[in-house]
Amino acid sequence: MTTDVGATRTPGGDVGWELVLKRNPVERLKREKAPLGIRDELPALIAAGYEAVPEEDMVRLQWWGLYHDKPKIGTFMLRIKLPSGHLTSAKLRAIGEVSNAHGRGSGELATRQNIQLHYLHLSALPEVFAHLDAAGLSTVGGCGDTVRNITGCPVQGLARDELFDATPVVEAAAGFFYGNPDFCDLPRKHKYTIAACADRCNAPEINCIALVGVLHAGREGFAVLVGGGLSSVPRLARDLGVFVPKEEAVEVLAAITGAWSADLRYRVSRVKARLKFMIDDIGPEGMRALVEERLGRRLEDYRLAPVKATPSNHVGVHEQRQAGLVYIGFPVHLGLVSGDQMVALANLAEELGAGIRITRQQNFVLANVPEDEAGAALERVAEIGFPLDANEVRANGIACTGEPHCNFSVTETKSRLGRLLEGLEDRFGEAIGGLRLQLDGCPHACAQHWIADLGFQGTTARTDDGRRRQAYDIFLRGGLGPDAGIARPLFRRVPSEELDVPVAALIQGWLDGRREGESFTAFSRRLSDEELGALAGLEPARRRERDEEAA
Amino acid sequence: MSVELIDELEAGELSVEFEGEEPEAVVAWALERFSPRIAISTAFQLDGVAILDMAYRIDPEIRVFSVDTGRLPQETFDLVELLRERYPGLNLELLAPDPVHLQRLVARKGPNLFYASVEDRMLCCNVRKVRPLTRHLAGLDAWITGLRRDQWATRTNIRKIEIDHDHGAIVKLNPLAEWTEEEVWDYVRANDVPTHPLYERGYTSIGCAPCTRAIGPGEEARGGRWWWESNAPKECGIHCAIETGGFEHELHAIVGDGHE
Repeated sequence: MTTDVGATRTPGGDVGWELVLKRNPVERLKREKAPLGIRDELPALIAAGYEAVPEEDMVRLQWWGLYHDKPKIGTFMLRIKLPSGHLTSAKLRAIGEVSNAHGRGSGELATRQNIQLHYLHLSALPEVFAHLDAAGLSTVGGCGDTVRNITGCPVQGLARDELFDATPVVEAAAGFFYGNPDFCDLPRKHKYTIAACADRCNAPEINCIALVGVLHAGREGFAVLVGGGLSSVPRLARDLGVFVPKEEAVEVLAAITGAWSADLRYRVSRVKARLKFMIDDIGPEGMRALVEERLGRRLEDYRLAPVKATPSNHVGVHEQRQAGLVYIGFPVHLGLVSGDQMVALANLAEELGAGIRITRQQNFVLANVPEDEAGAALERVAEIGFPLDANEVRANGIACTGEPHCNFSVTETKSRLGRLLEGLEDRFGEAIGGLRLQLDGCPHACAQHWIADLGFQGTTARTDDGRRRQAYDIFLRGGLGPDAGIARPLFRRVPSEELDVPVAALIQGWLDGRREGESFTAFSRRLSDEELGALAGLEPARRRERDEEAA
Repeated sequence: MSVELIDELEAGELSVEFEGEEPEAVVAWALERFSPRIAISTAFQLDGVAILDMAYRIDPEIRVFSVDTGRLPQETFDLVELLRERYPGLNLELLAPDPVHLQRLVARKGPNLFYASVEDRMLCCNVRKVRPLTRHLAGLDAWITGLRRDQWATRTNIRKIEIDHDHGAIVKLNPLAEWTEEEVWDYVRANDVPTHPLYERGYTSIGCAPCTRAIGPGEEARGGRWWWESNAPKECGIHCAIETGGFEHELHAIVGDGHE
């Protein structure tokens, strides 16, 4: 009994809809009533009142980017999809206005380059959607079993060193997949990233499907990575081994997604529904065969070379490929931007003729700023609350929504990371500017703690009489790009009040003991658990070997 | 506390491996791995007695606990006696609320405070049920619940094994996660497991006597719990939000920290 639970349990090829519908309540509710139609039912839901809305309809509202806020007494979070994080001044102004009118001025930049608002009442939703629609914004598929926001390089089309401008491909993909009924009943959420950024800033390793821009035999196109993702079961994406000319990108995305979506084995349980589990089962080779069968043609062999540069955050003033223009990346502390700040930034961007881009690290970029107005722009943006001369550690830090809004989080998140960073800035100054501290309130890993230099996941420690204490697991050895790897929770259940000291001690240990040019992650990989424990003054968690357990 | 507990990575991989496994296999794995620092939590509802039966068959010494809130219906105690008879030597602990906390709450708010407001009802749940539970969990490495995915539409992602970050990061096992309610009924009938007598009288949910009632045909199941409330958090009140951790999140958001 003990040993045979270790076997892979994906049901065989004979899975039919009967089993799917018996085992998976979300598949049932999708078939009872297609979730996309719920937006048309809003007047009826509003008339019935929040408390009367069946929870099944609350789930369907996810297809329009809505989740319960916490507590679940009447308000929602709304996720606005922005392909590659691109915004115009008019769009940003519209979001700011909606935030101020209906969302108590809330706003946060999220790691999938979305913007999220909170506190929206059910009764306000028709007005909210009308306002966003008028600005050309969409929330369709923001949550739910859909193609989520397509991420990319925020400075595509601007950067001097990009391989090519992937904007048309991102736009074509968003145009095809967003709200497309054929891709709104997927087994689970589904994440694409598409970019031709020279240093792969968009974290292709942790997406379901990544199109990684390459130049091959004089042609612009993509290598394809499949099966990445974090959450409770992290996986780094694997190379499909093909080259896809950019004209064929959307077709290939549809074929991969279609192969997964059609396989009922991945609809039986939501725990095993993500594309990464199919790749676990059949490998990239198996997926390539399915894709080629769907396309009716062979794809060209291609191996993606490892990237040499570490992923950029695109912060700072950079000359664009367009003469006389610069882009400026601004750190946004904890990703928080109020409705008023959005409106002010939108007004400034309009004056400058600039665009706005949201980044994976929860920051923003002002694009197409005339070179001779850059200095004035810096001053104006600093006045709005985003000084460029902040410690770069703020630009790299990421914290999830967490408290007070998210129902999953067990600890404070943005506020805790803020205090941690402020203490570290005081002590270490610019020496820690390049460090990536990422803090999540639950295992879902929206802040991507698995690939941070120093990752934190909220948990609780209990006192003997059952009292709750907020605590964090500390994750080390994660990385992206040349350092790509999944971190390990090396120190567990560190009470929140005791977190800052070991973190500072680890950083001090790195500053004192690093080799020439050694990154924090490389340093933490070179040291043993015990050595890191000695630096931190904490006992490292030991892992039981799986063989030992099976024996 | 052991530093060799399962971590997030291992729990995640196990949760994938456990999909498609029968509940008994998961229970057996858990007992082998965690005994004696593992226990079953039951509120004597349908899922709780099914799990109890499965575990007792594997190990008659399995620890079982429930919270005697002080306001349970007599029928629940009748069921306890039936279970003690059916499972000789059953290692059942009935946990009691902290008398000091309880006395203070009743002195301040009266014995029927739950009718006064959502906040007061949540305070009552907290003192009578949640605190005794969390105090007990603090002494365990793992616990087993009867949570199922089809109990509530936003509960469909629960895993059969997870790190319980609401409760000191011990391991939580939900072996019945995949089953439908019908399958649980089939199991208890096939195995002659005693079930709560109030089900036959139209109850869909059985908790404290003042806070649960039978519902009529066609009435929403949620009408069987706290039916007088408005503006209560939209949480599944039927099948223990306490075991999901949801209750404590709402308590924190609505009442705040000053409720100890």
